[in-house]
Amino acid sequence: MNSRLIPILMTVILAVLLAGCYDASEVDDITHVLAMGIDRGVSDKWRLTVQFSTIQDSPGGGEGGDGGGGGSGQSQGDYTHMTVDAPSFFAGLDMLNSSIPRELSFTHLGLIAISEDLAREGLMADFIAPLIRYKQIRGSTPLMVIKGSALDFIRENKPYIGTVLSKAMQISTRASMNIGFFGHTTLGDFYSDLKSTYRQPVVPIGALNDFKTFREDGPKWGDKYKDEGEYLAGQLPRYGVRKIEYWGTALFSGEKMLTELNGTETRALLMLRGEFKRGFFTVQDPKKPELIIPLDIRPKGKPKVRMSFKDGIPNIDITVPLKGTILAIQSGLHYEQDPLLSLLEKTFEKETKSEIDQLINKCKGLNLDVFKFGDVGARYFATIQEWEKYNWNSKFKDAKINTQVEFVIQRTGTRTKTSPIPNRQEE
Amino acid sequence: MIEEGKFGVQETVWLMVSTIVTKVFYTSPAQVASLVGNVSWYMTLISTATAILGFTFIYLLLKRFPGWDIATIMKDTLGGFFGFVFSIALALYLLFLATNTLSEFTEVAKAYVFLLTPSSFILGVFVVGVLVMCILGLETQARFAKLAAYTMLTGFVLVLILGTENYDINRLFPILGYGADKILITGLARSSVYGEIVILAVIAPSLQGTYFVKKAGYISLILSGLLISLSVLAYSLSFPYYVAQEIVAPMYEMAELIDYGRFVQRVEPIFLFIWFFSSFISITALFYCFVSLYCKIFRIQDIRPIALGSALILFVSALFNMDLGVGAVQRIQNIRQYGWIPPFILPLIALIVGMLRKRGVRSHE
Repeated sequence: MNSRLIPILMTVILAVLLAGCYDASEVDDITHVLAMGIDRGVSDKWRLTVQFSTIQDSPGGGEGGDGGGGGSGQSQGDYTHMTVDAPSFFAGLDMLNSSIPRELSFTHLGLIAISEDLAREGLMADFIAPLIRYKQIRGSTPLMVIKGSALDFIRENKPYIGTVLSKAMQISTRASMNIGFFGHTTLGDFYSDLKSTYRQPVVPIGALNDFKTFREDGPKWGDKYKDEGEYLAGQLPRYGVRKIEYWGTALFSGEKMLTELNGTETRALLMLRGEFKRGFFTVQDPKKPELIIPLDIRPKGKPKVRMSFKDGIPNIDITVPLKGTILAIQSGLHYEQDPLLSLLEKTFEKETKSEIDQLINKCKGLNLDVFKFGDVGARYFATIQEWEKYNWNSKFKDAKINTQVEFVIQRTGTRTKTSPIPNRQEE
Repeated sequence: MIEEGKFGVQETVWLMVSTIVTKVFYTSPAQVASLVGNVSWYMTLISTATAILGFTFIYLLLKRFPGWDIATIMKDTLGGFFGFVFSIALALYLLFLATNTLSEFTEVAKAYVFLLTPSSFILGVFVVGVLVMCILGLETQARFAKLAAYTMLTGFVLVLILGTENYDINRLFPILGYGADKILITGLARSSVYGEIVILAVIAPSLQGTYFVKKAGYISLILSGLLISLSVLAYSLSFPYYVAQEIVAPMYEMAELIDYGRFVQRVEPIFLFIWFFSSFISITALFYCFVSLYCKIFRIQDIRPIALGSALILFVSALFNMDLGVGAVQRIQNIRQYGWIPPFILPLIALIVGMLRKRGVRSHE
């Protein structure tokens, strides 16, 4: 046989073989799960809810029938969801696949929603952590603790704007970068923090707002000042169509959720972790406390952490550098220039430091280092054995922590000064 | 004599680098992380230095026999019987490396990419490709390695740069990992990672002289050391030590985590490209050198029938290796602890005996 013929022949055989693949899936053979909810089950240990597209154009066209194995389905316009009680995720998956005319695929999963009940019972490690092994679910999938039932949350998970749910979810979960009232935790982050010798896990909270805190009637608010960050998830005084809101943070001790942070505490947490990106803050006007000055705040760099150990107790000095832009000055005073500019900076620094200190004390009380201080602490140990023997997570409660906020107003928005309103009636 | 063609230092360097570095894409980084913790990135530099010392013995041996291959040198220095035993041992070592690399490749491919494809299919297709390349010859392999290197390097650097969003410098601490003693011992033993450098002794006649063997050898080792260190550093920055040691293929998962909003995500196909190509080059080079060495030992002029038979052995042994189950990977890693003996100690013995018996000539270069 010609010596060149063998390679040519083999190349042709290879090309033919490679064209057909066992792992190939036709696009219309599978359906992509967009969101997954996990509750404690009634008929079995876990209640698994999956949401996916019906791949139909007309709203309301996707009617999910009753699922097998105790499952149930419900239409959500172009999307539908199905729920099943099962002994494990994978058993539930097979049970759901038995009643869906496509194969469920999790390669484009955009959200894992865990009920708070499950998180507080410390069952997340049992269910969530093992999912990291499953090839279809990416480590970068966002994770949320849901107040109430994850099933109810999935029921309300609709695009509202536009028709693409995956995009809506992605934008919503990443909104943390623009507001800072909740963070961004992925499955990979949670898995890593769960096993961490450096820190404890944190997960953002999602909730359904029943709009009961929105009161249409009653005495008017007046001039009292209330920080918008004081609300907890599901309690924002708002009204509208979309019930879902992401707000606050769930703090874990190992696998068990211990407590919940409100919006302000969450911002402080993100600042200390170096994960705060941006947010509008409201400061009471130092000269006219009945009025406010909104600021657009961004980090000026990563937090600077210095640490030393005395008698085995960590002393931590942390400086949080921030910069800001003035968004509005209700009083019309010249906060754009000194001395009022400095006064405003100092006021914000003091307020933020106070919020940060309160959060640190709260977490020290719970012995939870959720601030990543342990990451820096590890630098002071030569070997992993020494570090693990020290057991950072058990020592955090004794840590002495000094905080400092460095804030500078870099811009004044689109106005360099505020002219007074003539004939304004002063009270 | 088998006609293997001639090629330059660049082709040789990329052939060697691809062959050596490919291991970083498999289970090795996780295994090393379980031994030394988060310090594999500089531990491997100890391995590189050890391998450079080991290669110096290979080079000194080749220098005494300019233009000779290792089988002929072994026979000349150690005599017919011991020369045969040493050469066969080296050949089997190369086949063992090829088999293990192929098994590991298939294992990782099945875990991440071809979940449903039978192992025999992946192995079969791969072995056919290796056989084609083997028949096309050493020069083709070397030139292909150089051609693929540019694309692979670009993809490699891209993955490392895109991965920066997940890097955390604090993950490199505690700086001594599981302890300086473990770093040193593992670093010395893991010089086996660079054991493929012995291939240079098999293909030495294809280079333009001993000086070029020396140049290609040292450059290959240094470049491989840097690339392995860089990859391991990237994954050490991406995963804390307690997670890094759990992952089957840390480099793949590192690429999978890259996520820049809705614009840049799911970039692991770039990694797959690098992974597949480097594995292909690596397994082909190891397999070819086994076949070549075998032919040289038994003075067989036509490589093709031996290549065909050896390909069957490669396929069956890799399949058998995989049938051993989940423990196979662990066993491979354990064996790698002693993998430095064949590539570095056998040539060293040949060198010492050659010097004592005053065999070979001084280099004329």
